[in-house]
Amino acid sequence: MEPYRTHVMLCAGTGCVSNGSFRIKETLERELKKHNLQNEVAVVMTGCNGFCAQGPVMVVKPDDIFYQLLTDDDITHLVEEHFLKGRPVQKLMYTPPAEELPVPKMSDIGFFNKQRLIALRNRGMIDPEQIDEYIARDGYTALAKALNEMTPEQVIEEIKLSGLRGRGGAGFPTGRKWELARAAKGETKHIVCNADEGDPGAFMDRSIIESDPHSVLEGMIIGARAIGASYGHVYIRNEYPLARERLIKAIKQATDYGLLGKDIFGTGFDLDVSIHRGAGAFVCGEETSLIASLEGRAPEPRIRPPFPVESGIWDAPTNINNVETWANVPDIINRGAKWFSAIGTETSKGTKVFSVVGKVKNTGLVEVPMGITLREIVYDIGGGIPGDKEFKAVQTGGPSGGCIPQSLLDLPIDYEKLAEVGSIMGSGGLIVMDEDTCMVDVARYFLEFLKDESCGKCTACREGIDVMHGILVRICEGNGKEGDIEMLEELSEAVKDSSLCALGRTAPNPVISTIRYFRDEYEAHINDKSCPAGVCKALITYVINEEKCKGCRLCAKNCPQEAITGEVKMPHTIEQDKCIKCGVCFDVCKFDAVSVT
Amino acid sequence: MNQGNGQKVGAVLVVGGGVGGMQASLDLAEAGYKVYLVERGPSIGGVMAQLDKTFPTNDCAMCTLAPRMVDCGGHLNIEKLTYSEIESIEGTAGNFSVRIRKKARSVDPDKCTGCGECVEHCLVKNIVYLDQPGRAPVQIEESVRTKADRIIGRYDGDRETVVPILQDITDEFNWLPPDVLMRVSQEKQIPLEHILRIATFYKAFSLKPRGKHIVTVCMGTACHVKGAPRIMDRLERELGIKTGETTSDMRFTLESVRCIGCCGLSPVITIGDDLYGKVNPVEAAAILDKYQD
Repeated sequence: MEPYRTHVMLCAGTGCVSNGSFRIKETLERELKKHNLQNEVAVVMTGCNGFCAQGPVMVVKPDDIFYQLLTDDDITHLVEEHFLKGRPVQKLMYTPPAEELPVPKMSDIGFFNKQRLIALRNRGMIDPEQIDEYIARDGYTALAKALNEMTPEQVIEEIKLSGLRGRGGAGFPTGRKWELARAAKGETKHIVCNADEGDPGAFMDRSIIESDPHSVLEGMIIGARAIGASYGHVYIRNEYPLARERLIKAIKQATDYGLLGKDIFGTGFDLDVSIHRGAGAFVCGEETSLIASLEGRAPEPRIRPPFPVESGIWDAPTNINNVETWANVPDIINRGAKWFSAIGTETSKGTKVFSVVGKVKNTGLVEVPMGITLREIVYDIGGGIPGDKEFKAVQTGGPSGGCIPQSLLDLPIDYEKLAEVGSIMGSGGLIVMDEDTCMVDVARYFLEFLKDESCGKCTACREGIDVMHGILVRICEGNGKEGDIEMLEELSEAVKDSSLCALGRTAPNPVISTIRYFRDEYEAHINDKSCPAGVCKALITYVINEEKCKGCRLCAKNCPQEAITGEVKMPHTIEQDKCIKCGVCFDVCKFDAVSVT
Repeated sequence: MNQGNGQKVGAVLVVGGGVGGMQASLDLAEAGYKVYLVERGPSIGGVMAQLDKTFPTNDCAMCTLAPRMVDCGGHLNIEKLTYSEIESIEGTAGNFSVRIRKKARSVDPDKCTGCGECVEHCLVKNIVYLDQPGRAPVQIEESVRTKADRIIGRYDGDRETVVPILQDITDEFNWLPPDVLMRVSQEKQIPLEHILRIATFYKAFSLKPRGKHIVTVCMGTACHVKGAPRIMDRLERELGIKTGETTSDMRFTLESVRCIGCCGLSPVITIGDDLYGKVNPVEAAAILDKYQD
């Protein structure tokens, strides 16, 4: 590689690409060439660096200057100032919410400096499509170590000692799973990387594959060798085309380098990895259902035991781990179990990647040590709630999880603590909700999701969720009646007890946890027929504030019902009997004169 | 049971000799009642014998059924009326009279040992034909067939190839045309029923033609709390269709997806391969104009 004075790390994750980062790359290269800097400044397209809300973002190395919200027009100025004259451009830097001066260095920004990167160790540092860059950052050294210096038993022992637990949700100890898979009898064995990231609001698996596909592959090869598997499969969601493309490239490069295929590193160990594309079914994230889908059967879960480690794909022992779990493996082998187990809490070791999204200022992907409190994530890293609104709850664990209220903000996060308060770790989605989020509506939302995604095998799940959803819809429409809450609680127990897989067994969690912490909101919907957060359509009215309205007629022009009347430059009014509560007036008003009551 | 007139008759009629009817008969017979078990078919047992396993315990169906059949068969308190049908019921609870038509069997059940010799020697036989007449060859346009065959040819294997094939068909045609599915069934020797089972299970497949531009509104949790439902409402009004439908000019299909993993940009919509983040309902409607060509 040619030596360069400066490297520009431009993010090429899905978020930034959709905001035009490839267009910016072209402009950047053109401008650099204009100033004859193309041999001094290298432009590297990296994977997602996590701060998606500010995209497209770039980091200038070695000074570590962080630029955000770039547009084509900024580039000419940026190249002249920064790369030609050596003066970083302040107006493109990140300014923390409550402060006035921008923070130039990436490592000084609150969003980044509380993080500890293990699974995401290479994010924003390498071009994910170049295996050489991964190798340059100690890539595949763990594999060499595991193949040449360690026996499979030692590898498993190391993973066991590290305390690594499954990052897909349930948190089963990874080393224990490997040990069972190794001990299982079978001529051929399979390993699977579960990249069917179905939880809405979680995107760490996509991001890991997009920014560092080789770390997942390396983890899989180490795992396959430890277990004695000769076939590897990656089951990846249909909705992630970029991740799939990068993984295909990565597999090809690794095969060309002799890191996959026959006789890896000359040790006589073979492994083929194939990619399977999902087709949009949430239930396929469940192990037995995933296996059924791989085999071409209808993806319905089956009873366990036998567990997949004994009888999985084509009845052969099969070890399934999540993307993030696999990505942790190489670093554990490289740095040792002791180093890894020093991070985290008593029962949950290491770090966890969370997607902090929803009503929070710095939305994006963060990797933090286990045991960090929710408050640190939401306020120190996330920067708090936008628009001076009040924090209401955090939803964790996707549709199987629950909502955690403000009173529990100081809860240290690990598998057990989250379970105690009625939620789960899940795959790591953290959706922040503020005072404008209706908790009954959230419960309704999750049940609608689960109603659609239930495979229909167990009656309790199929019918029970449908009935619960019906009750919640009724409550949101203002037709709730006394006894509905109790009925929901009773049904929750029934669905929990009599469903076969985790989808049904955890389906009532969003309802149970919202009733537990936000019963008053349910009661307001049922007894007072009002939605305190102003979300449920049937229970709200839009009104125009006479003092704020300037009479610009914008809302009247946009109203599909012609329900808004008023003269130019005079305050307008909404005729409530014509209003269909579509909210267009609220969206278009430039003076915040439309409010919801 | 009405016992007011003291005319209680100590016999019970059970209708239907499936596993439920047999268990009811056994319980009643054990309790001391005389049981008449009426069954339309020539034997008790019902449909359970056709099942493999039963939910939720995964017990084998035959293991549940067989002991009950044997018990029913031998129980002195149960009189089995097989190959029989009820014609009328009269009377009140506690004192019914029932007319039962026992169909001609032409075999004395008391003497029959079930040896099957009569079946062997009967000249008029009910032969079961196992080979079906076969489906007519698939009528399919030449150009479509070439495309379909090229896709089918990419995959070697049995049922595990169905999902990838259907995905490629969707990429090629934007939906799953029925004649192409029949072609797949014929070429791969996989029953069309199985292909349809898979096609209807997954969200990514559509059995209806879809428009030129597929508009998808992300309904992930992050997008939901940031107002995705109102974007969907607006687009439905703008296009004059409901979610999952296609405009009559075949230009737009409106769909929802559960999270595309761009939660940092929520709320998000996609049109074809283009992704638009942080949109509000008014902007979303305006974006559609770019695709009016």
